[in-house]
Amino acid sequence: MTGRPSSAGIPGAVTRGLGWALALLLPVYGWIVYQAPIDSVQGIMQKILYVHPPLAYGAYLGFVVTAIAGGLFLWRGAERHDQLAVAGAEVGTLFCTLMLVTGPIWARGAWGPGNWWVWDARLTLTLLLWFVYLAYLLLRSFTEGDERTARFASIYGIVGVVLIPLNYWIIDLVGGRAQHPENIERGSLGEGMGMPFLLGNLTLFFAFAYLLALRWETAILQSLADAAGDGPADHR
Amino acid sequence: MNVALALLWKDLLCEWRSRDRVVAMIVFSILVVVVFQFAWPDRSDEQTLALAPGVLWVIYLFAALLGIGRTFTAELENDAMTALALAPGTRGWIFAGKAAASLVLIGGVQALTAAVFALFFRVDLAPAIGALALVVGLADVAICSVGTLFSAMSVRSRFREVLLPVLLIPSLIPVLAAAVQASAAVIGGEKLTLAAVQPLIVIAGIYAVLGFLLFDPVLDD
Repeated sequence: MTGRPSSAGIPGAVTRGLGWALALLLPVYGWIVYQAPIDSVQGIMQKILYVHPPLAYGAYLGFVVTAIAGGLFLWRGAERHDQLAVAGAEVGTLFCTLMLVTGPIWARGAWGPGNWWVWDARLTLTLLLWFVYLAYLLLRSFTEGDERTARFASIYGIVGVVLIPLNYWIIDLVGGRAQHPENIERGSLGEGMGMPFLLGNLTLFFAFAYLLALRWETAILQSLADAAGDGPADHR
Repeated sequence: MNVALALLWKDLLCEWRSRDRVVAMIVFSILVVVVFQFAWPDRSDEQTLALAPGVLWVIYLFAALLGIGRTFTAELENDAMTALALAPGTRGWIFAGKAAASLVLIGGVQALTAAVFALFFRVDLAPAIGALALVVGLADVAICSVGTLFSAMSVRSRFREVLLPVLLIPSLIPVLAAAVQASAAVIGGEKLTLAAVQPLIVIAGIYAVLGFLLFDPVLDD
């Protein structure tokens, strides 16, 4: 088989290491969230805290990965950078979707019945981010030719990441309703909630990294398979 | 720079001879103005005034999408896209020429739409005309910049009519938000302050620079 060795992505040992770390963290995370005290005001609903904000970091991180990898692709022209960009966008879309699903569930519980959705600054921003992710993936599937797809997607990824601070600034400026806490400071977490929150962030970070590495590896293998077979096939 | 001027001239001349983009945008815009009447039949003059900036900007946004979508369709014939890519000098200037041509066409359609809107609904836009033109012009720089960049990509994709709005609208939300707010203030009789147009200046600047720099790889075929 011709083509690059698979070490063009992440070495297999690193991917496996991430997988093992995740496997070890998950049960501890589950147990500690189960053990965490129940909030006196919000009740059991408050435990979404250990899932929802960590998902947000993954969603934003995915976009940053996509933009940086896209920039590297435009600069160096190496296919593996584009494959990393796809991985970032797909894993980021997953995290962003889950965040948009968990958010309204918590919102209704915390902000009262009927409050599934409010046009809060951060909510609006996330929704827009999600649309940018979708547009990115649609652009990839509608563009013909591997090299051209990679090029166009890289450009869109870079514009997309610029949109994050820009949208945040504008939405804040035109007065979106601010329902989210300004910042989750250590002090604002109740007794016994700090540790599960920290572990939630750690576990979901490992989940993000593991999925990213796996997806990157898959994209590389896919292109190797295409090169080995009779030309590129349309996998979509 | 000469490339930009040449392209601007070429696009305007082509449009003058065919008039297809402008006519499509004008008919669409006026139709939506009429639709507005049937969407809110029983409204007071105050309500019309309150809705005016939003309605105008919804029309502007979609009319612009219509026009921008056709920025590069003429270049698909006879593979003129390749000829553009081979033009001497920085490709950013090709982008600048194309975006400037769209800006002129879209700006003209917007002025006409505003006049028709004012006429149909007795909204007096005359005192605010200068300030409104500034707000719309700045927003147009932003719209035409990202619009030209994405249009050059979507025109060579499948389902280009669907793809362009999907790509473009998320990036136009900040423009729209800032423009609606500034327009509402101006139409409401307030004086235009620097603080009101500052977001538009920033966005227009960022998008123009991004378009100029990122246009180069778009034509790399």
